[in-house]
Amino acid sequence: MLLNSVIIILREVLEAALLFSVLLALSKHSAIKQQWILWSAVIGVLGAAVYGLNMGLVSEWFEGVGQEVTNALIQLIIYFLLLVFISLQFKLHLLLKDEKQSVTKNAQNAMPSIQLLQPLLVFFMIVITTLAITREGAEMLLYFFSVTRNEHHYISTLIGMIIGASIGVSIGFLFYYLLVTVFCKWNMIIALSLLILVSSGMLSQATQLLIQADWIEAQLPLWDSSFLLSEKSVVGQLMYALIGYESTPTAIQAVLYLSGLILPVFIIMIIWKNHFMNVPK
Amino acid sequence: MNKFVLKCLFYSFLCSVQLNVWAGTPVININIQNHLFIPSEITIPENTKVKLLIHNLDDTDEEFESYELNREKVIIGNRRGVIFIGPLSAGEYPFFGEFFPKTAQGKVIVKPAE
Repeated sequence: MLLNSVIIILREVLEAALLFSVLLALSKHSAIKQQWILWSAVIGVLGAAVYGLNMGLVSEWFEGVGQEVTNALIQLIIYFLLLVFISLQFKLHLLLKDEKQSVTKNAQNAMPSIQLLQPLLVFFMIVITTLAITREGAEMLLYFFSVTRNEHHYISTLIGMIIGASIGVSIGFLFYYLLVTVFCKWNMIIALSLLILVSSGMLSQATQLLIQADWIEAQLPLWDSSFLLSEKSVVGQLMYALIGYESTPTAIQAVLYLSGLILPVFIIMIIWKNHFMNVPK
Repeated sequence: MNKFVLKCLFYSFLCSVQLNVWAGTPVININIQNHLFIPSEITIPENTKVKLLIHNLDDTDEEFESYELNREKVIIGNRRGVIFIGPLSAGEYPFFGEFFPKTAQGKVIVKPAE
């Protein structure tokens, strides 16, 4: 029971921990106080409890596929929120750069925009992480209450869950410090690229869930790369959590994943172009 | 004459579409009891979509999970859940209950069409 609970909790915590570490690194970079994490933790746990308690009811919706549809909807909402977040974050990055250099005329106009963008970004980060915790946390709560119904398993499950959560949080911390120290110079590019990959992973997962619900027509997989990297392996799990790795994707999934990647890159390019067109030389 | 043949073809096409809709998706029932899948092995034909109706007869929740089938779903205790699988190519696709994986194990066997 112990090893199993370590693995289950690690898998769920890892996804959230990696998302948190990237967002926290971006906050540090953008001179945003990192206290927002407390808000999302509290609201997220409450959301998870409400979702977990009502999972039976939700599952009955839409002729028995309510769980898939709800989870897919959450993933889609997270994708679009991340899309807006990435765009605003990039704009803020450009404004902060202007302010630092403070040689261009743009710097005078930058301050009000910066003060407007920072709280907006905090709001987006809280909503995104709250939704992620709600989804992942509900599963963890259901697991905990199911397994501990047998009193023999109570202590071993609890210890396993604590170990799993600790490993996940530690990996998150390690990742955060790598982002803000070793990769400090490339912090922005790496963090935004990771967020784009994470968001595309969400889109691909949402597609998978809608296929499972038979809302999107199922197809034979496009390829099978499980011999190269199995989703069961540790690296496979990590890649699944980080970039939505899928060893047997269908054509719809692959197309949506790619579109999900291209869209934010395209938006970033437009913001980049507009910003420098407005800079008087 | 040509028109008549075309009409016939069109109606037969409509009929075949209708038949497909009426035939519906085959349903397979699986029970979860004492943290076991019963039956633990199910056989389905190749390239066919199947609706799995999973009845959790235990008081505890279970999560149906399969890396090979790309499926993951919580089945609440004393409730049932629907999971669509397929179309699949011939082969074996293991699944397990993530909450009680020691006992809850099973597999989908996909047979080639004859």
